[in-house]
Amino acid sequence: MASPSPQQPSLLLPEAPKRRRFLEILGAASIIVTYVVLVLTQPADIAAGPGSLAALAAMGGFLLGAVLLVVAVLPTLPTSTVVLIPIAMVLNIVLGQFVGSTLVPFYLDAIGTVLVAVLAGPAAGAATGALSSIVWSLFNPTVLPFAAGAALIGWLAGLAARAGVFRRFYLVPFAGFLAGVLGGVVSAPIAAFVFGGTSGLATGAIVSAFRAMGDSLLAAITKQALISDPADKAIVFAVAALLVYALPRRASFQFPFVRRYRVLAGREPQGREPAARA
Amino acid sequence: MSRGTLSLERLNPLTTLTGAAAVAVITTAAGHWAFSLTVLGGLLALTARQARAAAVLRAAAAILLPFWTALLFMHGLFFPEGRTVLAELGPAAVTREGLLFALDAGLRTGVFVVAFLLFSFTVRVPELLTVLSARGLPPRLGFVVVSALTLLPAAADRIRRIRAAQEARGLVIGRSLASRLLAARLQAVPLVLSLVHESGERAQALDARGFSGRQPHTSLRTVPDSAPQWAARRVLLVLSLAAVAVRVALALFGGRA
Repeated sequence: MASPSPQQPSLLLPEAPKRRRFLEILGAASIIVTYVVLVLTQPADIAAGPGSLAALAAMGGFLLGAVLLVVAVLPTLPTSTVVLIPIAMVLNIVLGQFVGSTLVPFYLDAIGTVLVAVLAGPAAGAATGALSSIVWSLFNPTVLPFAAGAALIGWLAGLAARAGVFRRFYLVPFAGFLAGVLGGVVSAPIAAFVFGGTSGLATGAIVSAFRAMGDSLLAAITKQALISDPADKAIVFAVAALLVYALPRRASFQFPFVRRYRVLAGREPQGREPAARA
Repeated sequence: MSRGTLSLERLNPLTTLTGAAAVAVITTAAGHWAFSLTVLGGLLALTARQARAAAVLRAAAAILLPFWTALLFMHGLFFPEGRTVLAELGPAAVTREGLLFALDAGLRTGVFVVAFLLFSFTVRVPELLTVLSARGLPPRLGFVVVSALTLLPAAADRIRRIRAAQEARGLVIGRSLASRLLAARLQAVPLVLSLVHESGERAQALDARGFSGRQPHTSLRTVPDSAPQWAARRVLLVLSLAAVAVRVALALFGGRA
């Protein structure tokens, strides 16, 4: 593990950056356009039943965006990052499945995604979030339409890491809080239009409280998401930060993103000196 | 593994994937609880013919029962858009529209969940990835998905062993939150450490075997396909597009979204 694995792109093999960049932009545009269309054209009267056009648009647009992002980003990542993605997915699923079945209005299903985003950057974080939802959907298909929201959280965590937020632990929960606000706003139309509500009993109780006050379904679920998601992501970011800090420095500094943007405080370990923090 | 003449395991993975997606799209486009109920009945009958029927039903029940309960609670008691009040319970009101909404959304999600679980419990993942790679998806996707699926049971087993080791070193998980948090830290940190350490070794091994090469990969696996399956996929695709087109036309000219 001490010697870095070959992470530089090959000089001999041709790249196709333009096509990848195009797919990335197309994926992001698909997610943004879907969200705008859903909010602008949300069914005003849901008494006749859950709107099926909105459900089709939410399912198709967000999923297409997530798949395009994965196809664009995955081939560009160094091998050390690609092998980290399955680990992040396993952590997401193992921890998320545990919390999802309890009566807590949190999900904690993005710890692995944030971990990868901190170590390998926004693109890797976004790919991990989307892929994690796709693989998890093999066991629980209801998480599939939320792939775009998961990708957004990974991307935002990577941006926060690049900006140096993870150098000071007290800033981390705030970054998580902000990411949770955006993630919650993007995920709410899926819960509202595709599933007609949230799947957890605790989150359902919060939605019911807002509905009792006369809110529309989208407004109630967005407000519920704005209560649950920021707190959830603040915890997730903090846990992921603690896990990254607990890694030996040679393990965390093997990632080019960590070295290049000085993601973590302290100096890069030199040569074969023992790990500073184990 | 396969049983009966309707075993989905024998089909090409693309056929079952197209089938699951088409069922979800058509049911959503139809947007009527009676249609969803009929499709759900059909899917359950198909599930009963599969070798892993019990596993599919268990997984579906674990997802759908809490979801249906939450929907019933949410829309059955609080539905401000409801006009026909069936019962008043203080601030809550049971309305006909709310119950119908819960029924509609619940059955639609039921179809979505059972269709995709039927796909994922009958598909052979390596075959699916071979087929998808041949159609232009990055080969790395295959590695990531298969690696995650293999790591899942291994990680669960490792957590068990880490916990046993920590307990042998004197870890006692008490009822207090602090004790639980400490226990979680003592188990999570070694797990993440060992997984990240292994991933570093795996990266070197993979790079030594040309993992980063961008030239087309040759697959040793051939996935059987047939003309009827090819035709069935096309038909399902056309039916899905037609269902969406009808729904869009109805929304534009008939006012039903």
